[in-house]
Amino acid sequence: MCNKMMKWSDAISGVADGVGGWRSYGIDPGEFSSFLMKTCERLVNCASFNPQKPVSLLAYSYCELLEQKKPILGSSTACVLILNRENSTVYTANIGDSGFIVVRKGEIVHRSEEQQHYFNTPFQLSLPPPGHGDNVLSDSPDSADTLSFTVKDGDVILVATDGVFDNVPTKLLLDTLKEIEGEQDAVKLQMTANTIALMARSLAFDSEFMSPFAINARKNNINAIGGKPDDITVVLATVVL
Amino acid sequence: MISETDTSVTSSEDLTTEEAALEIQDSHPAPEEVILINQYAQKVIDFSSQYGSDTSISYTAYNITGRPSKFPDYGDFPETFAMRTYGRWWDIAPSAMEELQPTNFHDIPIHDFIVVEFEEFVIPEAIAVYETYNPGAIVKIWAYFSTISTWKCLWYSFPDPYVEKRPRIFSPPLKKVALPTKIIRLEFNHIFLDYFTEIDGMVLTGRKCDVGEICDAAAMRKSKKGPILRKLESVQFKLRQIENHKDILKDFLANDLGNFMKEVGLVHEDEKEDNTPPQITLKDLPCEILFKILSYLDLVSIFRTAQVCKKLYDVATDPFLYQEINLKPYWHAVCDEMLTTLTKRATLLKKLDISWCGLFHSITPSVFREFVRCCCKNLTHLRMNSCKFINAFCMEVVGSVCVNLRELCLRNYSKSPSVLNFHCLKNLRFLERLDLFRTQIDSDLLLMTLRYNPGLKHLNLGICNSTVSMDDVAVHIARYNRSIVSIDMWKSHFLSSVGLLSLSQCHDLEEVDFGWCLREEASPGDSLRILLKGCPKLKKVFLAAIRGINDRDLENITEFCPNLEQLDLMGVLGITYDMCYKILSNCRKLKMLDLSFCDQIDEIQTALWRDVFRVSIKRNFVPPDHPFIT
Repeated sequence: MCNKMMKWSDAISGVADGVGGWRSYGIDPGEFSSFLMKTCERLVNCASFNPQKPVSLLAYSYCELLEQKKPILGSSTACVLILNRENSTVYTANIGDSGFIVVRKGEIVHRSEEQQHYFNTPFQLSLPPPGHGDNVLSDSPDSADTLSFTVKDGDVILVATDGVFDNVPTKLLLDTLKEIEGEQDAVKLQMTANTIALMARSLAFDSEFMSPFAINARKNNINAIGGKPDDITVVLATVVL
Repeated sequence: MISETDTSVTSSEDLTTEEAALEIQDSHPAPEEVILINQYAQKVIDFSSQYGSDTSISYTAYNITGRPSKFPDYGDFPETFAMRTYGRWWDIAPSAMEELQPTNFHDIPIHDFIVVEFEEFVIPEAIAVYETYNPGAIVKIWAYFSTISTWKCLWYSFPDPYVEKRPRIFSPPLKKVALPTKIIRLEFNHIFLDYFTEIDGMVLTGRKCDVGEICDAAAMRKSKKGPILRKLESVQFKLRQIENHKDILKDFLANDLGNFMKEVGLVHEDEKEDNTPPQITLKDLPCEILFKILSYLDLVSIFRTAQVCKKLYDVATDPFLYQEINLKPYWHAVCDEMLTTLTKRATLLKKLDISWCGLFHSITPSVFREFVRCCCKNLTHLRMNSCKFINAFCMEVVGSVCVNLRELCLRNYSKSPSVLNFHCLKNLRFLERLDLFRTQIDSDLLLMTLRYNPGLKHLNLGICNSTVSMDDVAVHIARYNRSIVSIDMWKSHFLSSVGLLSLSQCHDLEEVDFGWCLREEASPGDSLRILLKGCPKLKKVFLAAIRGINDRDLENITEFCPNLEQLDLMGVLGITYDMCYKILSNCRKLKMLDLSFCDQIDEIQTALWRDVFRVSIKRNFVPPDHPFIT
């Protein structure tokens, strides 16, 4: 089941990837990530929202979890991007192994860094059930990686969960995204996003394929081959200035 | 319902639509060119209570602004505005406070309010409030008309005990006022609420108008002269005073008034029978009796009585009648003139409630300070909740003059911590009640106040700022304030088992509210047991959202709390059917039990328990598709 949310509101986009391990505790992994993104959306409309600090957006959103009567447990990665139209600058905050790439003229000009404690264990915001606090990885929103950079008209921004980056080789992504640089038709963008998601899905279930995940695993002395079945979320945007 | 017109209906988000010019005709309804606009609330100006913390957007006043997010869903949603209290439960708790000067409350008592601002001035036609949980608490609607600087009540009604538990758009018929407004105040009475009421948004519908034109019209009306003044002008009437006019007047009143009245026919010529007893009027009664009679009146009536005649003026302005004053029900009318009048009369003042007064600069700090200097030396009870006019100088004068305070309520001063300078508190030594709900206070100052006031019985630090550690507070209380009766730490910070252990030494405790505290701990464990054992008088124990509490902890309630009347276990996930049953069986005096969001209990059980044990068991609303919570 899908346990990520994508939000596109004004010039803000984000993805959150719920950590699946919570299923064995009877916790729906999608609830946490879903709440995180929905709350980001609500906070964006607040008067106190600072569009240059996506980290504080994540931090406040995380704090809201503690204010819910119905407890929301679990953990999730998160990646939030804010495009400031006035100065053509993108402000980003990333925790974990979701991420984004910015493509210009067929090349990646900016990308997020994956944050991992160790292999296959990304940084994550979490709220464990009471009593399990010690056993659970819980990173603070302050540990988010923040980047800001200017963008040009026509740039393509792809925000996605690790289900995409682990399965689709970079060259394939670039070839796909090259086609829509400067594209303003929403339908075409949607189709490309679908394509990427579908690619990721097919490759994930290809057991012979040397996926980026497999390559990385081998670097960590793990004998892996094939794709990595995982939840896939894609948010695609082009910059129009 | 909101009236629909044939022209544009816009929200405050997109008010750039073209609108035809509107002709303002004073009292005649405008013909075809009337344009009604609908607006969502843009900003919250003031409110008396909210469920969530100030930095949160869950269950807070902020949610009344903008488009409704959940309506027409029904339920307990964090995207709505909820207040801290409901029903009568806080009125029967050990920390309950009586209203001062209860004679002032012959009208509908108001528990809470919220003031919202809209973007555009309109002449109000309708107001619609989207209620998404337990509707029916709104009892008054006011609007502020800035052109005349006055609040007017557009609608009021006694609270309805039989409102159906369904989502509704509440839109009562409003009084017609042909003046522009963009500020609306809703007032609430919780008395019949079964659980929290929640509001998702509101819409103000009105005729758009040109504020400038209204201002000019109002100014013109003020300067217009009436027929008498015009006549006097035309005959060039000049007032002339003859000498000794005072003596001549006195002489007339004493000697000739009776004859004059007879001649004019104001007095009957009929002779009465001689065997009827001579008539005694109000004026003939001794002052003590008159004081007793007038003490049953509300403040407004006392003021009016003073205008009747000289004798009643002397009685009605005597400081004896002004020892206990409650200005809260007159929040809309309290102004500098009234305070100045009170300054002359209330020199024996002992108890004052000036809460909610002074919005939009109707009270000047200097007038208030003069009032305090003249009248408040002997003040023992002071309630100044949500007073917008209070500044550092006001607090300073309160601190230096009112040194005998036994009760001080300073709720809702969250915006300006150091600016307000609560250092006046350091002079107080006799405090028995201190209410700082939603007020920012310096930690050292608070701890010092605890040290200096050993008689403290009631302390409210709900939604206290995060710089104050409740563990520190608890340790201080255990050392300096052993006679404490009630503590409210709702949504405060840094309470742990250390704090609970300290409080176990306060054996007179009857009420504790630890809602949303103890976040850092898995389970309070032994500290809770020791606290409950050490405080057998506990009547009210609130443990909302302390997720770490399990059956083992609750076992202690059954063992050590025979006097328990109110228990809040909202969101305590670990509680089971068996433990609930045990609590209900052992705590024979229990009146209220909140089991909302306790997922292991289901509706059928609670319905049965309500009848068997006669306890009001609260549960969150569950939509009919999911009848059983697993």
